[in-house]
Amino acid sequence: MATPTANTPPAETKKPPAKQSLHYKIVITVYRVFAIIVLYGVLAGIFSYAFVMGFYALSRSWAAPLILSAVDEKSLDFRDKLVTSQQTIEDLKVDSNKLESGIAEMRKHRGALLALEPQLRDAIEREQTHNHATGQELADLDHQKQADNLRTEKVLAQLKEVESNINKDLAAGLITKGDAATQLAALNQAKGAYTDSKIAEVLLTDSVLDKTTNGTNSLDVLEKQAELRSEAAQLDVAINVSEKQLEEETRQIDRLRQAIVTAKQSPYYLNATGGQQLYFAFVPYDNQASAVAGSPIYDCYLNMVACRKVGTVSQIFAGEEDAIHPIFKTQIRGFLIRMNLDHAESAKSKTVFLNRKPLLF
Amino acid sequence: MAPILLWLIMVLCLVISVVKYLMGIILKFIHPGIKIQKDYSYQPTVSVLMPCYNEGRTVYETIESISKSNYPNDKFEVIAQDDCSVDDSYEWTLKAQRDFTNIRIRTGRNEVNSGKARTVCNALHHSSAEIIISIDSDCIFHPDAIVELTSCFGEPRIGSVGGRVGVRNPNDSVITAIQSVIYFAAFQLYKVPENWTRSVCCISGCLFAIRRELLLEIEPAIRARHWFGIPVNQGEDRFLTHQTLLRGYGTYINNDALCWTTVPSTLSVLFKQQLRWRRSIVRDFFYTLRTLPQHVWKLHPNSVFTLVLTPLGALIGVLVVVTMLSLDPLAWAGPVPIITALGIGAILSWVIKKYSAREALAHPLVFGTYVAWSLVSSLFLTPLALCTMDSADWGTRTKAEQREAALGNSNS
Repeated sequence: MATPTANTPPAETKKPPAKQSLHYKIVITVYRVFAIIVLYGVLAGIFSYAFVMGFYALSRSWAAPLILSAVDEKSLDFRDKLVTSQQTIEDLKVDSNKLESGIAEMRKHRGALLALEPQLRDAIEREQTHNHATGQELADLDHQKQADNLRTEKVLAQLKEVESNINKDLAAGLITKGDAATQLAALNQAKGAYTDSKIAEVLLTDSVLDKTTNGTNSLDVLEKQAELRSEAAQLDVAINVSEKQLEEETRQIDRLRQAIVTAKQSPYYLNATGGQQLYFAFVPYDNQASAVAGSPIYDCYLNMVACRKVGTVSQIFAGEEDAIHPIFKTQIRGFLIRMNLDHAESAKSKTVFLNRKPLLF
Repeated sequence: MAPILLWLIMVLCLVISVVKYLMGIILKFIHPGIKIQKDYSYQPTVSVLMPCYNEGRTVYETIESISKSNYPNDKFEVIAQDDCSVDDSYEWTLKAQRDFTNIRIRTGRNEVNSGKARTVCNALHHSSAEIIISIDSDCIFHPDAIVELTSCFGEPRIGSVGGRVGVRNPNDSVITAIQSVIYFAAFQLYKVPENWTRSVCCISGCLFAIRRELLLEIEPAIRARHWFGIPVNQGEDRFLTHQTLLRGYGTYINNDALCWTTVPSTLSVLFKQQLRWRRSIVRDFFYTLRTLPQHVWKLHPNSVFTLVLTPLGALIGVLVVVTMLSLDPLAWAGPVPIITALGIGAILSWVIKKYSAREALAHPLVFGTYVAWSLVSSLFLTPLALCTMDSADWGTRTKAEQREAALGNSNS
């Protein structure tokens, strides 16, 4: 069943007309030139891209300029926080002054109270000494009075018989009514004197009691003394609390002042409050070694070639910043620097280089 | 505005591709009507045209596999047409002619190297069969391949039928593993919606059956293909399919008609092959745009979308990838693309292992490297294809001494 076929001659292909052939030649020539340009362009693009990627993966001197505006969200936020902190300091100061005045007033009051204490104690002592002395005398007099009254009472008991004899004498007509009345009046007077004497005895006993025992009056005085002491103690507590509060507020003021001092070193503060245009740049931690105050800054025309010095690093800020890598577009950590730029346009470059030219030209 | 428009078109292309894959899954399982009504009683005469160029011993193996075909031997023949190979390919075809006497084998040789498309046309003139099957000379065919292909021609409106191309060497390298998954997904999913509407846009040249009268009708157009006067010898399979559709015929891929091809195992060969394919796609895209009204009126919307949006996606993909690389260079290196690729690779590898054990992957996770290939493919292939449309170089099989004198180059 094997059947070799004859060699097949090439099929006749219709040749295009000369005009069309010329047209094709022109088109193909233009196309080839265009294709060569495009392909070399693509090739150059690929190599450039790969080189840029590799360069930024290895470079340790680039920084990304950053133009901060006064209406920048972070600056505004920063300014808000600064104003709030300063307001808090003012409030704390007013509060501290109030506390200081309060403490001074309380101390004064406490001093006055404490000054009363020895006087009161002296008065009590004096009164007690006096009472001690006069109390004994009164007690002796009281005993004497009681004895006198007993004797007077015995005498008065005999007066009943005298009164009966007077009445008998009057009835017997031995004495006149007038004499009898005079005698009876004398008897009543004696009884009245006895009663007065008894009253004096009772009063004397009371006085002795007052002088020799702690009565309600002295208790009142002691209560007053206790109140005095309590008020002084309360003042002590209040002074102590106020002093601690004052101490805390002073510390808070110090902390806030310290924070403001630190904040004043922030680029955002400088940006928010500085009158002139300031230039900043983000430096990733990998490139930290290149960021030295005073070191030169280079800007390049073709990303990293044809570079010129455009300024110097004037300040390095301590705070950490996050930024997007200008080439790889990944999140990176680093810090900000302030640049003194002789050429303001460099602040708009994608990257600048610190310390030295990236490719030595 | 322009970048947004580009992104929108790119997203549209991607969505349509994803939708096609999803539709493929859905249709495969819930809509059995998409399958063609095969008529195994229909047994037309068949000519298997095998253009060969620098294939060496492989042509012998290819003919051997065809000789074991289950199709009646008196109803088919093999016409092996050598395209001036500089190796011993022709001697191997002669040896096959001598050894496989159970079938009719005819051999021929072009007087000058003419390229695959013209070699097929040359072989066609030695044939008188009703159905022409064009095959690649580096494939191994299933014994039922011819039976399956011809059975689909029972449907009168079908003009061309393709078979499923499997990978012979899935585990040769990472590159062949990736291609195994891609081939499987393309035939078993992506082309299913096209099968549904009988409007497959590209039937693989590895196994391409067409009605004789239709091929004869298209032949002058194949021979006349040129790019501003430079003969076009590549992408004849896409061209044939396209022409079949434009002539009002249906196209279909019968996944039961199997053949196995050896896919490139090195990056450089794969790149050259893909570049050649990309040129065909771009050329086809320009042709579609030039004759768009004709396409809109004559073709199923599914075909129009595929013919326009697939290459458009590839073209815009370049711009999107360039934009992406400049805006976010490390985005492609993130975990999402690799996880997605690994997920797809794992699922498809499992499916391949279950339904096509011969193509099972030893290391399914190597499909993760597809991310890198897709980047290379998107970024380089299309611009390179656009700038080398005048190239007639086949790329993968041209031998040094032949390259200089080549007018048209090789095949497969």
